[in-house]
Amino acid sequence: MTALPNHSIRSDLALGARDMLPMALAAATYGMAFGLLTAQSGFLFSQATGMSALVFGGSAQLVAFDQLMGGAGVGAAIFAGAALNMRILLITASMRGALINRPWWQVVASVYVATDASVALMQTAKSRGALASYWYLFGGGLLLFLVWILATAFGFLLSHGIPTPEKFGLDFAIVAVFVALLPGMWRGRSDVLPWCVAGATVVAFQALVPSQASWGLIIGATLGAFTAGVTHHD
Amino acid sequence: MTDIWATILGLAAASFAIRIGGFLLALHLPQEGAWARGMDALPGCLIIALVAMLMLNGGMNEWGGGTVTLLVAYKTRNLPVSMVSGILTVALMRLLW
Repeated sequence: MTALPNHSIRSDLALGARDMLPMALAAATYGMAFGLLTAQSGFLFSQATGMSALVFGGSAQLVAFDQLMGGAGVGAAIFAGAALNMRILLITASMRGALINRPWWQVVASVYVATDASVALMQTAKSRGALASYWYLFGGGLLLFLVWILATAFGFLLSHGIPTPEKFGLDFAIVAVFVALLPGMWRGRSDVLPWCVAGATVVAFQALVPSQASWGLIIGATLGAFTAGVTHHD
Repeated sequence: MTDIWATILGLAAASFAIRIGGFLLALHLPQEGAWARGMDALPGCLIIALVAMLMLNGGMNEWGGGTVTLLVAYKTRNLPVSMVSGILTVALMRLLW
Protein backbone atom coordinates (compact mmCIF):
# COMPACT_ATOMS: atom_id res chain seq x y z
CA MET A 1 0.00 0.00 0.00
CA THR A 2 1.53 3.29 -1.08
CA ALA A 3 1.11 6.21 1.29
CA LEU A 4 -1.15 8.94 0.05
CA PRO A 5 0.02 12.54 0.20
CA ASN A 6 -1.72 14.55 2.90
CA HIS A 7 -3.75 16.69 0.57
CA SER A 8 -5.33 13.64 -1.00
CA ILE A 9 -6.24 12.23 2.44
CA ARG A 10 -7.88 15.56 3.23
CA SER A 11 -9.80 15.67 -0.04
CA ASP A 12 -11.01 12.08 0.43
CA LEU A 13 -12.15 12.90 3.97
CA ALA A 14 -14.00 15.98 2.71
CA LEU A 15 -15.60 14.16 -0.19
CA GLY A 16 -16.80 11.36 2.09
CA ALA A 17 -18.28 13.89 4.50
CA ARG A 18 -19.98 15.73 1.63
CA ASP A 19 -21.47 12.56 0.15
CA MET A 20 -22.73 11.62 3.62
CA LEU A 21 -24.85 14.80 3.95
CA PRO A 22 -28.17 13.25 2.80
CA MET A 23 -27.78 10.42 5.31
CA ALA A 24 -26.72 12.95 7.96
CA LEU A 25 -30.07 14.70 7.50
CA ALA A 26 -31.85 11.41 8.16
CA ALA A 27 -29.65 10.71 11.19
CA ALA A 28 -30.24 14.21 12.57
CA THR A 29 -34.01 13.75 12.71
CA TYR A 30 -33.69 10.25 14.14
CA GLY A 31 -31.09 11.37 16.70
CA MET A 32 -33.27 14.25 17.84
CA ALA A 33 -36.19 11.89 18.30
CA PHE A 34 -33.96 9.61 20.39
CA GLY A 35 -32.74 12.52 22.54
CA LEU A 36 -36.29 13.70 23.05
CA LEU A 37 -37.50 10.26 24.08
CA THR A 38 -34.67 9.64 26.54
CA ALA A 39 -35.14 13.07 28.14
CA GLN A 40 -38.80 12.28 28.75
CA SER A 41 -37.97 8.91 30.30
CA GLY A 42 -35.56 10.07 32.98
CA PHE A 43 -32.20 9.48 31.30
CA LEU A 44 -29.41 11.85 32.29
CA PHE A 45 -27.89 14.02 29.57
CA SER A 46 -24.65 12.03 29.93
CA GLN A 47 -26.53 8.77 29.43
CA ALA A 48 -28.38 9.90 26.31
CA THR A 49 -25.31 11.33 24.57
CA GLY A 50 -23.08 8.58 26.00
CA MET A 51 -25.31 5.91 24.50
CA SER A 52 -25.21 7.65 21.11
CA ALA A 53 -21.42 7.95 21.24
CA LEU A 54 -20.74 4.41 22.50
CA VAL A 55 -23.35 2.38 20.63
CA PHE A 56 -23.82 4.54 17.50
CA GLY A 57 -26.73 2.58 16.08
CA GLY A 58 -30.11 4.29 15.84
CA SER A 59 -32.50 1.38 15.80
CA ALA A 60 -30.41 -0.67 18.26
CA GLN A 61 -30.38 2.21 20.76
CA LEU A 62 -34.10 2.71 20.42
CA VAL A 63 -34.94 -0.96 20.87
CA ALA A 64 -32.59 -1.43 23.84
CA PHE A 65 -34.04 1.72 25.42
CA ASP A 66 -37.57 0.46 24.80
CA GLN A 67 -36.80 -2.94 26.37
CA LEU A 68 -35.15 -1.36 29.41
CA MET A 69 -38.02 1.07 30.01
CA GLY A 70 -40.49 -1.77 29.55
CA GLY A 71 -38.82 -3.59 32.44
CA ALA A 72 -37.30 -6.39 30.37
CA GLY A 73 -33.98 -6.19 32.25
CA VAL A 74 -30.42 -5.31 31.26
CA GLY A 75 -29.63 -8.64 29.58
CA ALA A 76 -32.73 -8.64 27.38
CA ALA A 77 -32.18 -5.00 26.42
CA ILE A 78 -28.56 -5.66 25.37
CA PHE A 79 -29.57 -8.78 23.45
CA ALA A 80 -32.36 -7.03 21.55
CA GLY A 81 -30.10 -4.10 20.63
CA ALA A 82 -27.25 -6.40 19.59
CA ALA A 83 -29.64 -8.44 17.42
CA LEU A 84 -30.54 -5.29 15.51
CA ASN A 85 -26.88 -4.36 15.14
CA MET A 86 -25.93 -7.80 13.81
CA ARG A 87 -26.46 -6.48 10.28
CA ILE A 88 -23.39 -4.22 10.75
CA LEU A 89 -21.38 -7.45 10.69
CA LEU A 90 -22.37 -7.76 7.04
CA ILE A 91 -21.51 -4.09 6.40
CA THR A 92 -17.99 -4.13 7.86
CA ALA A 93 -17.47 -7.41 5.99
CA SER A 94 -18.25 -5.63 2.73
CA MET A 95 -15.80 -2.81 3.68
CA ARG A 96 -12.95 -5.33 3.45
CA GLY A 97 -11.43 -3.78 0.34
CA ALA A 98 -10.98 -0.37 1.97
CA LEU A 99 -9.74 -1.69 5.31
CA ILE A 100 -7.33 -4.42 4.34
CA ASN A 101 -3.61 -3.73 4.93
CA ARG A 102 -4.40 -0.76 7.17
CA PRO A 103 -2.83 -0.38 10.63
CA TRP A 104 -5.06 -1.86 13.36
CA TRP A 105 -5.97 1.52 14.84
CA GLN A 106 -7.24 2.73 11.50
CA VAL A 107 -9.33 -0.42 11.11
CA VAL A 108 -10.75 0.10 14.60
CA ALA A 109 -11.55 3.77 13.92
CA SER A 110 -13.27 3.00 10.64
CA VAL A 111 -15.39 0.06 11.80
CA TYR A 112 -16.40 2.11 14.86
CA VAL A 113 -18.17 4.62 12.62
CA ALA A 114 -19.57 2.00 10.19
CA THR A 115 -23.36 2.01 9.79
CA ASP A 116 -25.97 1.34 7.10
CA ALA A 117 -24.99 4.72 5.70
CA SER A 118 -21.55 3.25 4.86
CA VAL A 119 -23.31 1.06 2.29
CA ALA A 120 -24.85 4.20 0.79
CA LEU A 121 -21.42 5.81 0.69
CA MET A 122 -19.80 2.82 -1.05
CA GLN A 123 -22.68 2.92 -3.52
CA THR A 124 -22.18 6.64 -4.20
CA ALA A 125 -18.48 6.08 -4.86
CA LYS A 126 -19.29 3.18 -7.15
CA SER A 127 -21.79 5.22 -9.18
CA ARG A 128 -18.90 7.63 -9.80
CA GLY A 129 -16.83 4.76 -11.09
CA ALA A 130 -14.43 4.69 -8.13
CA LEU A 131 -14.02 2.32 -5.21
CA ALA A 132 -14.63 3.87 -1.79
CA SER A 133 -11.21 4.60 -0.26
CA TYR A 134 -10.36 4.25 3.42
CA TRP A 135 -10.36 8.00 4.10
CA TYR A 136 -13.53 8.53 2.08
CA LEU A 137 -15.42 6.01 4.23
CA PHE A 138 -13.88 7.31 7.44
CA GLY A 139 -14.68 10.95 6.58
CA GLY A 140 -18.31 10.10 5.93
CA GLY A 141 -18.57 7.92 9.02
CA LEU A 142 -17.02 10.58 11.24
CA LEU A 143 -19.46 13.24 10.03
CA LEU A 144 -22.41 10.94 10.70
CA PHE A 145 -21.02 10.09 14.15
CA LEU A 146 -20.71 13.77 15.12
CA VAL A 147 -24.15 14.66 13.72
CA TRP A 148 -25.66 11.72 15.58
CA ILE A 149 -24.26 12.80 18.96
CA LEU A 150 -25.10 16.48 18.41
CA ALA A 151 -28.65 15.62 17.31
CA THR A 152 -29.14 13.46 20.42
CA ALA A 153 -27.89 16.31 22.62
CA PHE A 154 -30.07 18.83 20.78
CA GLY A 155 -33.19 16.66 21.06
CA PHE A 156 -32.51 16.09 24.75
CA LEU A 157 -32.01 19.77 25.58
CA LEU A 158 -34.97 20.99 23.55
CA SER A 159 -37.21 18.20 24.73
CA HIS A 160 -39.94 20.72 25.35
CA GLY A 161 -41.36 22.75 22.51
CA ILE A 162 -39.64 20.88 19.70
CA PRO A 163 -41.67 20.82 16.49
CA THR A 164 -42.93 17.38 15.49
CA PRO A 165 -40.74 16.00 12.68
CA GLU A 166 -43.64 13.80 11.48
CA LYS A 167 -45.56 16.87 10.37
CA PHE A 168 -42.88 17.60 7.77
CA GLY A 169 -42.42 13.99 6.75
CA LEU A 170 -38.88 14.09 8.15
CA ASP A 171 -39.24 10.73 9.89
CA PHE A 172 -39.49 9.30 6.36
CA ALA A 173 -35.94 10.48 5.55
CA ILE A 174 -34.42 7.15 6.66
CA VAL A 175 -36.78 5.07 4.53
CA ALA A 176 -36.17 7.43 1.60
CA VAL A 177 -32.37 6.94 1.80
CA PHE A 178 -32.63 3.19 1.42
CA VAL A 179 -35.35 3.23 -1.23
CA ALA A 180 -33.34 5.75 -3.26
CA LEU A 181 -30.29 3.45 -3.15
CA LEU A 182 -32.10 0.55 -4.79
CA PRO A 183 -31.92 1.51 -8.50
CA GLY A 184 -28.15 2.04 -8.25
CA MET A 185 -27.61 -1.28 -6.47
CA TRP A 186 -29.55 -3.22 -9.05
CA ARG A 187 -27.04 -5.18 -11.15
CA GLY A 188 -29.49 -6.82 -13.53
CA ARG A 189 -31.33 -10.10 -13.79
CA SER A 190 -28.90 -12.00 -11.56
CA ASP A 191 -30.24 -9.91 -8.65
CA VAL A 192 -33.89 -10.98 -9.09
CA LEU A 193 -33.69 -14.23 -7.16
CA PRO A 194 -31.37 -13.05 -4.31
CA TRP A 195 -33.48 -9.92 -3.75
CA CYS A 196 -36.73 -11.91 -3.75
CA VAL A 197 -35.26 -14.36 -1.22
CA ALA A 198 -34.08 -11.49 1.02
CA GLY A 199 -37.39 -9.64 0.84
CA ALA A 200 -39.57 -12.72 1.24
CA THR A 201 -37.62 -13.81 4.34
CA VAL A 202 -38.27 -10.43 5.97
CA VAL A 203 -41.97 -10.63 5.12
CA ALA A 204 -42.17 -14.20 6.45
CA PHE A 205 -40.49 -13.24 9.75
CA GLN A 206 -42.78 -10.26 10.15
CA ALA A 207 -45.85 -12.43 9.53
CA LEU A 208 -44.84 -15.48 11.57
CA VAL A 209 -42.62 -14.18 14.39
CA PRO A 210 -43.08 -10.38 14.53
CA SER A 211 -41.22 -10.16 17.86
CA GLN A 212 -38.06 -11.44 16.12
CA ALA A 213 -38.42 -9.29 12.99
CA SER A 214 -34.86 -7.93 13.31
CA TRP A 215 -33.48 -11.45 12.83
CA GLY A 216 -35.49 -11.66 9.62
CA LEU A 217 -33.39 -8.78 8.34
CA ILE A 218 -30.05 -10.49 8.95
CA ILE A 219 -31.19 -13.95 7.92
CA GLY A 220 -32.93 -12.51 4.83
CA ALA A 221 -29.83 -10.60 3.69
CA THR A 222 -27.61 -13.63 4.34
CA LEU A 223 -29.94 -16.03 2.50
CA GLY A 224 -30.09 -13.59 -0.41
CA ALA A 225 -26.29 -13.43 -0.61
CA PHE A 226 -26.15 -17.23 -0.27
CA THR A 227 -28.56 -17.56 -3.21
CA ALA A 228 -26.34 -15.28 -5.29
CA GLY A 229 -23.33 -17.38 -4.30
CA VAL A 230 -24.74 -20.76 -5.29
CA THR A 231 -26.43 -19.69 -8.54
CA HIS A 232 -24.34 -19.13 -11.66
CA HIS A 233 -24.91 -16.47 -14.29
CA ASP A 234 -23.00 -15.87 -17.47
CA MET B 1 -29.93 4.43 37.57
CA THR B 2 -27.14 1.87 37.17
CA ASP B 3 -29.29 -0.29 34.88
CA ILE B 4 -29.05 2.38 32.18
CA TRP B 5 -25.25 2.52 32.27
CA ALA B 6 -24.99 -1.27 32.38
CA THR B 7 -27.17 -1.51 29.27
CA ILE B 8 -25.25 1.23 27.47
CA LEU B 9 -21.84 -0.31 28.18
CA GLY B 10 -23.00 -3.85 27.44
CA LEU B 11 -24.57 -2.84 24.14
CA ALA B 12 -21.52 -0.73 23.27
CA ALA B 13 -19.22 -3.73 23.78
CA ALA B 14 -21.52 -6.02 21.78
CA SER B 15 -21.80 -3.48 18.95
CA PHE B 16 -18.04 -3.05 18.70
CA ALA B 17 -17.52 -6.81 18.69
CA ILE B 18 -20.02 -7.07 15.82
CA ARG B 19 -18.31 -4.27 13.87
CA ILE B 20 -14.78 -5.64 14.16
CA GLY B 21 -16.09 -9.21 13.76
CA GLY B 22 -17.50 -8.52 10.31
CA PHE B 23 -14.15 -7.31 9.03
CA LEU B 24 -12.22 -10.19 10.60
CA LEU B 25 -14.72 -12.63 9.11
CA ALA B 26 -14.30 -11.10 5.65
CA LEU B 27 -10.49 -11.42 5.94
CA HIS B 28 -10.80 -15.18 6.14
CA LEU B 29 -13.25 -15.70 3.32
CA PRO B 30 -12.05 -16.67 -0.16
CA GLN B 31 -12.03 -13.81 -2.65
CA GLU B 32 -13.34 -15.78 -5.62
CA GLY B 33 -16.04 -18.28 -6.51
CA ALA B 34 -19.29 -18.69 -4.63
CA TRP B 35 -18.14 -16.78 -1.53
CA ALA B 36 -17.11 -13.76 -3.58
CA ARG B 37 -20.38 -13.80 -5.54
CA GLY B 38 -22.28 -13.90 -2.27
CA MET B 39 -20.26 -11.04 -0.73
CA ASP B 40 -20.79 -8.95 -3.89
CA ALA B 41 -24.54 -9.46 -3.66
CA LEU B 42 -24.63 -8.79 0.09
CA PRO B 43 -25.05 -4.97 0.18
CA GLY B 44 -27.99 -5.08 -2.26
CA CYS B 45 -29.67 -7.91 -0.34
CA LEU B 46 -29.19 -6.04 2.92
CA ILE B 47 -30.75 -2.85 1.56
CA ILE B 48 -33.72 -4.63 -0.04
CA ALA B 49 -34.30 -6.47 3.26
CA LEU B 50 -34.15 -3.16 5.17
CA VAL B 51 -36.59 -1.54 2.74
CA ALA B 52 -38.94 -4.53 3.02
CA MET B 53 -38.93 -4.26 6.81
CA LEU B 54 -39.44 -0.48 6.84
CA MET B 55 -42.23 -0.58 4.25
CA LEU B 56 -44.06 -3.38 6.08
CA ASN B 57 -44.36 -0.98 9.01
CA GLY B 58 -45.57 1.89 6.82
CA GLY B 59 -49.09 2.93 5.89
CA MET B 60 -50.52 4.35 2.68
CA ASN B 61 -48.58 7.62 3.01
CA GLU B 62 -45.26 5.82 3.38
CA TRP B 63 -45.99 3.60 0.40
CA GLY B 64 -46.82 6.69 -1.63
CA GLY B 65 -43.58 8.34 -0.54
CA GLY B 66 -41.62 5.15 -1.20
CA THR B 67 -43.00 4.84 -4.73
CA VAL B 68 -42.15 8.46 -5.57
CA THR B 69 -38.64 8.08 -4.09
CA LEU B 70 -38.03 4.94 -6.15
CA LEU B 71 -39.26 6.51 -9.41
CA VAL B 72 -37.23 9.70 -8.93
CA ALA B 73 -34.14 7.69 -7.96
CA TYR B 74 -34.57 5.53 -11.06
CA LYS B 75 -34.85 8.59 -13.30
CA THR B 76 -32.24 10.88 -11.71
CA ARG B 77 -29.89 8.56 -9.76
CA ASN B 78 -29.54 11.50 -7.41
CA LEU B 79 -29.77 10.64 -3.70
CA PRO B 80 -30.65 14.07 -2.18
CA VAL B 81 -33.21 14.87 -4.91
CA SER B 82 -34.89 11.44 -4.53
CA MET B 83 -35.00 11.79 -0.75
CA VAL B 84 -36.52 15.27 -0.81
CA SER B 85 -39.24 14.23 -3.28
CA GLY B 86 -40.15 11.26 -1.09
CA ILE B 87 -40.21 13.36 2.08
CA LEU B 88 -42.35 16.04 0.42
CA THR B 89 -44.78 13.38 -0.86
CA VAL B 90 -45.20 11.94 2.63
CA ALA B 91 -45.64 15.40 4.16
CA LEU B 92 -48.21 16.36 1.52
CA MET B 93 -50.17 13.12 1.84
CA ARG B 94 -50.28 13.48 5.62
CA LEU B 95 -51.57 17.01 5.20
CA LEU B 96 -54.33 15.92 2.84
CA TRP B 97 -55.51 12.76 4.58
